[in-house]
Amino acid sequence: MTTRRDFMATAALGAAGLAPRTVWAKPTGGKPPMRFIFLHKGNGLFPSVMVPPSLSKDDAAKEAKKGPLNLDLGKHELPEWMKPLAAHTPDLTILQGLSGKMCTTGHHTWCSSLGVFKANERVSSIKWATVDFELAKMFPSPMEHIELACFPLGGGNARGTLNGIATGFSARGPQQPNYAFGSPKVAAQELFKSVSIDKSVQAQSQLGRAALEFAGRREADKVPSYASSIEAVRERDRKVNAMADAIRPHVPKLDAKYLADEMTTVDRQRGHVEVLLAALLSGLTNVVAFTVDELGHEYTGLAGLETEKVNLHDVGHGKGLGKLTADEVRFAVRRQHMTLVDAIAARLKKAPEVDGTVFDNTMIFYFPDNGETHHSHGTEYPFVVLSGKNAKLNIRGKYIRLPNYGDAGHKTLGNWYTTLLNAHGNPIKHYGDPDPGLARFGLDQTGSIKQFLG
Amino acid sequence: MPMPFNSSFQRSLWVALVLATGTVPARADGPAAFAVPTEVRAVLDAHCADCHGEHGKGNVDVTALDKLKLGDRLETLNKIQDQLFYKMMPPPKSEQPGEKDARMLGEWVRTELRRHKASKLDDRLPYPDAGNYVDHAALFDGSNREKAYTLARRWLVSPQIFEERVLDVFQLVGRERDQLRRSGFYGVTNPFLLPDNAGVRYYDLTPLDGSHLLVMLNNAEWIASKQLQAARLKAGYPKAAPADPKDKWVPKTTPAAFEVVVTKKTAPTDDEIQTAVQTQFGLVLQRKATDAELRQYLALTRDAIQVAGNAEGLRQMLKAVLLESEFVYRLEFGAGKPDDYGRVPLAPREAAYALAYALGDRGPDATLLKAAESGKLNTKADCEREVLRLLADTAYFAAPVDKSLGFLQPTTAPHPRLIRFFREFFGYSTAFKIFKDTPRAGNVYTNADRGSTGTAGMLIDEADRLLTDILAADKAVFETMLTTDRYYVFHPLDNDKGKKLVDNWRAAYEVLRHTDWKKNPEAVAKEHDAVIRKYLDPKGLPGKHKVNHDNSVLRFMSYFEATFGRGFTPFTVLPWAHGNRFRHAEIYNLGAMPGHGGKYEPGQTFDYHPVQPFAVPDRKGILTHPAWLVAFSANTASDPIRRGKWIREKLLAGVVPDVPITVDAKVPDDPHKTLRERVGEVTRSAACVKCHSRMNDLGYPLEQFDDFGRFRKLEKLEHPDSLVSAGNGKSTFDVYKTKPIDARGVLSGTGDPKLDGPVTDALDLIDRLAKSDRVRQSIIRHAFRFFLGRNELPSDSQTLIDADRAYLKSGGSFKAVVVSLLTSDSFIYRKQQGNR
Repeated sequence: MTTRRDFMATAALGAAGLAPRTVWAKPTGGKPPMRFIFLHKGNGLFPSVMVPPSLSKDDAAKEAKKGPLNLDLGKHELPEWMKPLAAHTPDLTILQGLSGKMCTTGHHTWCSSLGVFKANERVSSIKWATVDFELAKMFPSPMEHIELACFPLGGGNARGTLNGIATGFSARGPQQPNYAFGSPKVAAQELFKSVSIDKSVQAQSQLGRAALEFAGRREADKVPSYASSIEAVRERDRKVNAMADAIRPHVPKLDAKYLADEMTTVDRQRGHVEVLLAALLSGLTNVVAFTVDELGHEYTGLAGLETEKVNLHDVGHGKGLGKLTADEVRFAVRRQHMTLVDAIAARLKKAPEVDGTVFDNTMIFYFPDNGETHHSHGTEYPFVVLSGKNAKLNIRGKYIRLPNYGDAGHKTLGNWYTTLLNAHGNPIKHYGDPDPGLARFGLDQTGSIKQFLG
Repeated sequence: MPMPFNSSFQRSLWVALVLATGTVPARADGPAAFAVPTEVRAVLDAHCADCHGEHGKGNVDVTALDKLKLGDRLETLNKIQDQLFYKMMPPPKSEQPGEKDARMLGEWVRTELRRHKASKLDDRLPYPDAGNYVDHAALFDGSNREKAYTLARRWLVSPQIFEERVLDVFQLVGRERDQLRRSGFYGVTNPFLLPDNAGVRYYDLTPLDGSHLLVMLNNAEWIASKQLQAARLKAGYPKAAPADPKDKWVPKTTPAAFEVVVTKKTAPTDDEIQTAVQTQFGLVLQRKATDAELRQYLALTRDAIQVAGNAEGLRQMLKAVLLESEFVYRLEFGAGKPDDYGRVPLAPREAAYALAYALGDRGPDATLLKAAESGKLNTKADCEREVLRLLADTAYFAAPVDKSLGFLQPTTAPHPRLIRFFREFFGYSTAFKIFKDTPRAGNVYTNADRGSTGTAGMLIDEADRLLTDILAADKAVFETMLTTDRYYVFHPLDNDKGKKLVDNWRAAYEVLRHTDWKKNPEAVAKEHDAVIRKYLDPKGLPGKHKVNHDNSVLRFMSYFEATFGRGFTPFTVLPWAHGNRFRHAEIYNLGAMPGHGGKYEPGQTFDYHPVQPFAVPDRKGILTHPAWLVAFSANTASDPIRRGKWIREKLLAGVVPDVPITVDAKVPDDPHKTLRERVGEVTRSAACVKCHSRMNDLGYPLEQFDDFGRFRKLEKLEHPDSLVSAGNGKSTFDVYKTKPIDARGVLSGTGDPKLDGPVTDALDLIDRLAKSDRVRQSIIRHAFRFFLGRNELPSDSQTLIDADRAYLKSGGSFKAVVVSLLTSDSFIYRKQQGNR
């Protein structure tokens, strides 16, 4: 089926084309855009595994009671599963204590954790653009935003075939779900088709252009606003085509194993990372959302479990696999994710940009789509964050635990995303729904987390 | 032809505003140096300058208008215009200008703003929120003798019409059409969204733009592929099946004209291509292509076939037709020779579509199309005949009122669009978007979540059922909707089935209650097997259940003892049934559900009514229906301001100014005060009370109902300092100090001295509203907007008067209102832009 592929290509181009802006990823005034990468996982992320093992007795006691902490990570040891990020410790933040009870929680959350509202499988439940799309609007690019996914095969959240294009976790706006690429091969084909050497792809592009030109002519005298929109998409096509020389060097050169229809989850993740990096470095997009796994995904290729098919739902219910306990499987999954984050950060640190590297202008977020555990309640949404030096948040190199749910100073996902948006130029007063349950504590839920705004 | 959207509409409404404000426009002068005319300055000095002189209140200085820069001056004039329009200045206790002076001042301000195209009020006029800006009395006093019309227009289809048009492309009928109407198409996204605020929302104002295009491109790809899928499979094309196995639906056939091209081994002839083009025009645009269109599409298809072959080339043509703007527009230009008033009637084909889309979401049925084609849809009498016929047809437009209501089997109505008017008018269908801290309601309320719209969805469906019944009866419709004390509360079985089931249960209980069922259920099950099979389960029952959700004699009898045994009627869905989410009887103050969690607590138990609707105490109509009360509440408290605003605007045709952007008022917390007391405090200041006096006193009586829709005499002071005891949120709940509810209010604005004045509580308020002519007329104004897709103009006066008369003459038939509106000049006649 080509529907969503074409949608992704045309919609992404069109969305950017329709907005009154011309500046893409390449800086025009010497100031590069910020990039944002959201990697989210299913099955929850235990707050307990986020804690550096080297806390002092006092701090450990505070941690146990979920009291506020703000510690220099440079003076602490990272949790074992996070060790792949050791080289990035100065850029690393472990953020704990955010709640998200205004989200749909439990097994599945759809757009909730990125949108801070109760989402479900109905499109009508999407209240507004998710935070990644809000950030994408502030740092425009030809594709505006791309989404990659290791889709679940059964039940729940965003789902499609492993290799298809289907509804993702992000939302472009109210009642507008985004679509995500399920396989690195499809993603690479669609994102980089303007420089494709494949004859059939070229023919499709030619037909698409002719159809739009025809439609534009037909509507010119009937509905000018519609004709203008068609022309805007055509103009964007022309500009992307004109970028071909800039894009061509970054076309991902994927190993054969990433292009296969059958591949392990781990290879799928790595392939997606290649596409993600290529899209960012070529300037096609500044924002990527990546579903690294989901509850309904059957995990394959995990280190130590290479021959096993891991059912994450069973793991969520405490079922181990072979000699490994459920917690040990969870460890392996998280550690695999950290290798991906490390790969992204390391590559971006090698890409020069102005006086530094692309990583200087990048934030990477790793978090659970559904909160603190398998059957989550949303009382905690732990985050691992990597920030370049130009990110405008005062959080780098820290272990931060915010005050517990209901305590003075407690913060929500809405506060966190408001902080991100405010820091990068969106003055929104508050992003996301309030948590009615917090009202009983008489706390002000609105606004940014002031201490993060350096 | 570019459509006349806002500008011409604004000119029409300018006349309307004149009536509303009591001013008449002066001729706009040409560009000249600004000066305040002497007579205007005199009025400003006499009535405004005391407060709004140098450094005046609100940064408005009316004495220095001629010294301001243009931008500042226009901003000040807009402020003055708003104050005059909303009748908020001079303050009520100040000396008021005479009618002539007020008219002159308003006229001058408006002229100055329009000279610079800077009137913010004008910008708002076409939009739904400004529907009430036209003076109500002037619409119904009969003084306006203008001939009614609507401007010629392209009107974007509604979300529901769009869905039907896609179903038409595939020529789906019967069950398959019904199923796909409910499920939607896997690859089709509806490009049209309506805002979800209360009030009529589907207007002719939205242009087709880029956001629609993106979705239409995607839809066109999918639809065109599906149209050809059967033929491609037949022709043995590789990859004809969709890549996504979840995209399962395949049309059974491909239209013959397409199949010919797809299956042909050589290039198609011109005739074959033209036949295919005509076929696609018929399916998508429901008309024949013109000769010029045929030539254009022939060239496009030929070129595409040359590049990509027959099937793919044809698909490009199908896509191109699907991208025609006409696919998503309703065309209402009118045709024929203009009458003495410059109006032309809708062309018969346009009239057929206009009537069909007024009554439903589908295009015209065969009879209506035939009438249009055979010259039998040219007169008002023709239209009336067809409207009456379609209203009597309970099948053609029949569909669920709201297919999105989660796991429920949503209410189906013969004309769901008529229900939809009242849904939009009352605005209760947004209840599921309000999220609650559910322990505050003892966990009997469930938020919308995965696979369900939660308790709110059930409440909405219960309100839908109520309205469906009232519309079916079609007598005193408005009054009944406002005052009925009869409600639906859980009604999974129709009246006959529900009653029969309960009667059987009672018969079984009467026999088994005398047995030793508690101690020896197995023996009872054996001994009374015949009774059990006759009344409870034809397959028989075990004495004791083994697993969750199983039926057993013990379970049945425990349930019956807690219901029949206490003089109550059991609910027809068993408490242990899988997926039983019916817990919200307490929201209606009807007692707790017996058997939830296997518990049969003593105390008030829900006394179920298998025959519904039934009388529920302490409530009257939709304004006390929990769905409405939840929709007009905040997350953690009721909302007397929004409830009052709704009554002012929707029932009393009143106007409440927008909240000034400088206002960021919050209701203060106070552990010792009710919400009413706190709202009263924060809106007491002179700056606030001007607007809040139009809302608060109408909303306060509804404080008898909390934010879950529960009737109450005491308000819980939900503040940490008023906490008496904390619950665990699961089986025990927070207990707070309480204060008595003060439900007094004041009704104003009916124009009837017998009705206006203090009210004792919500039910008193509602009784009076239901007796008000203005309320009836206000509902008719909103119905006009719903069926015409625009705000009413003074020239629509006769249309509204006729609809009002039709309602009264028919004893309160809403169908009579619909017939009147759909045969009115406003509905039938069109004027071209500039021809007024």
